[in-house]
Amino acid sequence: MDLKLTEEEKLIKDTAAQFVDRELIAREGAYLKQQAPFLPPGAPARRELDPQARIELKERARQVGLWSLELPENFGGSNTSAVARVLIHREFGRSVLPFRPVSIPRFLFETKYGEPLADGTISFALAFAEAHRTGELSRLQTFYREEPEGCILRDSSSFIANPRADLFLFPAREQGTQRLGLFAIQRDMPGVTIGDEVDLTTDGIVARLMLRQCKIPSEQLLGYEYEAGAVIASEQLNIAARSLGIGLRCLAASIEHARNRVTFGRPLAQRQAIQWMLADLSIEIRTSTWLTLEAAWRADQELSYFEEAALAKKRASKMAFQAADTAIQIHGGYGVCKELPFEGFYREARLMRLLWGQEHELDRARGERFIEA
Amino acid sequence: MEFHLSSDEENLRKVVAEFVRDELVPLEPEFTNAPDIFEGSRWKSRVKSSDDPEIKRYLGIMESLEKKAEAKGLWRLDVPKQYGGTEISNVAMIAVTEELEKTAIPFEFGNHVSNILYSCKGAQIDQYLWPCIRGEKTSAFGLSEPASGADPSMLQTTATPDGEDFLINGTKMFPTFADVADFVQLFARLPGTVGHEGVTCFLVDTGTPGYRVARSIATLAGTEPCELVFENCRVHKSQVLGEVGDGWALNQAWLGNRRFQVGIRAHGQARRVLRVVADLVRHEPKAADRFAGRIGHFLGEIEALRTLTYLGAWKADQKMNVRSEAASVKLFATELLHRVTDFALEVCGPSGLHKNHVLARTFRHARATRIVEGPSEIQRHIIQRELFREGAAALALP
Repeated sequence: MDLKLTEEEKLIKDTAAQFVDRELIAREGAYLKQQAPFLPPGAPARRELDPQARIELKERARQVGLWSLELPENFGGSNTSAVARVLIHREFGRSVLPFRPVSIPRFLFETKYGEPLADGTISFALAFAEAHRTGELSRLQTFYREEPEGCILRDSSSFIANPRADLFLFPAREQGTQRLGLFAIQRDMPGVTIGDEVDLTTDGIVARLMLRQCKIPSEQLLGYEYEAGAVIASEQLNIAARSLGIGLRCLAASIEHARNRVTFGRPLAQRQAIQWMLADLSIEIRTSTWLTLEAAWRADQELSYFEEAALAKKRASKMAFQAADTAIQIHGGYGVCKELPFEGFYREARLMRLLWGQEHELDRARGERFIEA
Repeated sequence: MEFHLSSDEENLRKVVAEFVRDELVPLEPEFTNAPDIFEGSRWKSRVKSSDDPEIKRYLGIMESLEKKAEAKGLWRLDVPKQYGGTEISNVAMIAVTEELEKTAIPFEFGNHVSNILYSCKGAQIDQYLWPCIRGEKTSAFGLSEPASGADPSMLQTTATPDGEDFLINGTKMFPTFADVADFVQLFARLPGTVGHEGVTCFLVDTGTPGYRVARSIATLAGTEPCELVFENCRVHKSQVLGEVGDGWALNQAWLGNRRFQVGIRAHGQARRVLRVVADLVRHEPKAADRFAGRIGHFLGEIEALRTLTYLGAWKADQKMNVRSEAASVKLFATELLHRVTDFALEVCGPSGLHKNHVLARTFRHARATRIVEGPSEIQRHIIQRELFREGAAALALP
């Protein structure tokens, strides 16, 4: 057993940490600052990263190897390990700025979409709406059938989290055989419509991906059951890693604030109620960190890791929510102000707990396996 | 990053797994209704001197297990090589206990020696350390007092120098096994000192005039800790362990890496408790449906405990500072075992509290673990102290 980061892992982690500190956290002030002294009536506007800043950031991230993390070496990518991706997303999680590398399943680079995805001329998103409840697709109700002239996808409508993407990966089961297939669907294909965008309570948007009489060439069928499971596990690890970053940022800021803020003649740091919140949080961060790293390491070793990834995501995202909750409480009124990052983390963490497997469903699946064993 | 055990450690783990499968698991039916003579993985005090034929029969089983384990090289695993042991790493010791905890048979590989006895010098080595390693002598640990528990720096027992001797006066609470031990590792302070200063550790033989074991005290956990009284107990200066006035460091070192053993034991116990629950609900679809989620939740928490325990043991092997990890493991492990057991009783109903029921035994044991060797509140205190000392860097990856 050797839990030390290798030199290479350390380098990746430090590169990501530096990028996040210098490029993302440095821009947070401007991003979070309220633009007008008084707000117009109605709900606050959705915050968005300045499009020009996004382009610059993407370019800089690409330069230091923090973009297209799954890109194989023959495309000039870094083909990072799962452990390295956890280390990277853990650093990105420390910033509330909505900017992070998008994960693209590696098998897509072996298709005709490989090059445009690699050079960024098309953007990519997952359309796995039905995987969010249980974290798997065994009860998927979207079907397809294969005919000589192509695959016919049954009409469906589901929410997707990145509706402005050009290419979607969409799972469906074959009628009869129940075999799972992963389809690459372009937004400009006949029978594909994207509905109106809906604001989420996080700063994100969703829209419906609607398929009506959608017939697509069989070559768009790119993966099967295992690829789908790996896509889900990889997203779970991303969420877990991002949650770790949120936890660390909230903990660090809370420690700092508790040292400085004085009430009734003593710093908050000397109050047991504050100390215990942070002690309990630190345990959750520690356990979630190592569950996540172990699951990623298992992925790299080609050991089974789907259950481990699901557990890491469940515990880590819950920890991130607890971390944001604690940070808000310790920062008091400032904690809920939108000029500080904690309320943003709070909203984001609450959503992450609902993605790629809700807690009670993941628990139930684990419990059922144990009862039957 | 590498989570696998080394090949030597993996081989050892396999030997233990085989031992558990071949020697311990077949005994399970025999132990289901064993008399109440053990708690956790240890025998109760005075069991070994019992004349009860039934108890003697169980002792016979245990002795034959000890011989088998010793023949397989599973004895003295954590004893340093210079004392004839295997000196395996903390991580390997965790792996060994993880395998042992897969069965409820209360068996552990000996002989565990109180780690501070490795500070023995000169004649003490032959008089105390070697006999403990060989299993000929056992020791008790005298630190807590009627008015000093979680904060041992308040201890009041005094050791007054008198020529070549010290005169010891005071009362010690809760050393387990003091009633059967051959000697006690006693902490006392030099007159006029306070706090960590002047604390000195003595090795006091049972039977030394002025030292008596006043009584043993029944507890919820079934352990029988003792009350020790020292009245002008005269002890020669050669009985000082380490240096005069340096006892505080020994007290701090004593718990040491045992914390991680507490973690992996709770891990195994909690899993076994959940196995009992799963067996209860397996053939009742409604109950299985109702409880599957909570069983799954606790299984995940148990995995979290496991990973934290291995992390701490590994860091201890690297000689890194593990104060936070040790406190985290102790806190998380004992609180979790308690919650799991509470849940299991909820599923099982009142029959789970039948005195010999496995859940009842765990219930009684689990409550005490949240106090013994440092209550949960002290663990939180230790963790927050490190957090405010080091900031979030306390959680940096190694």
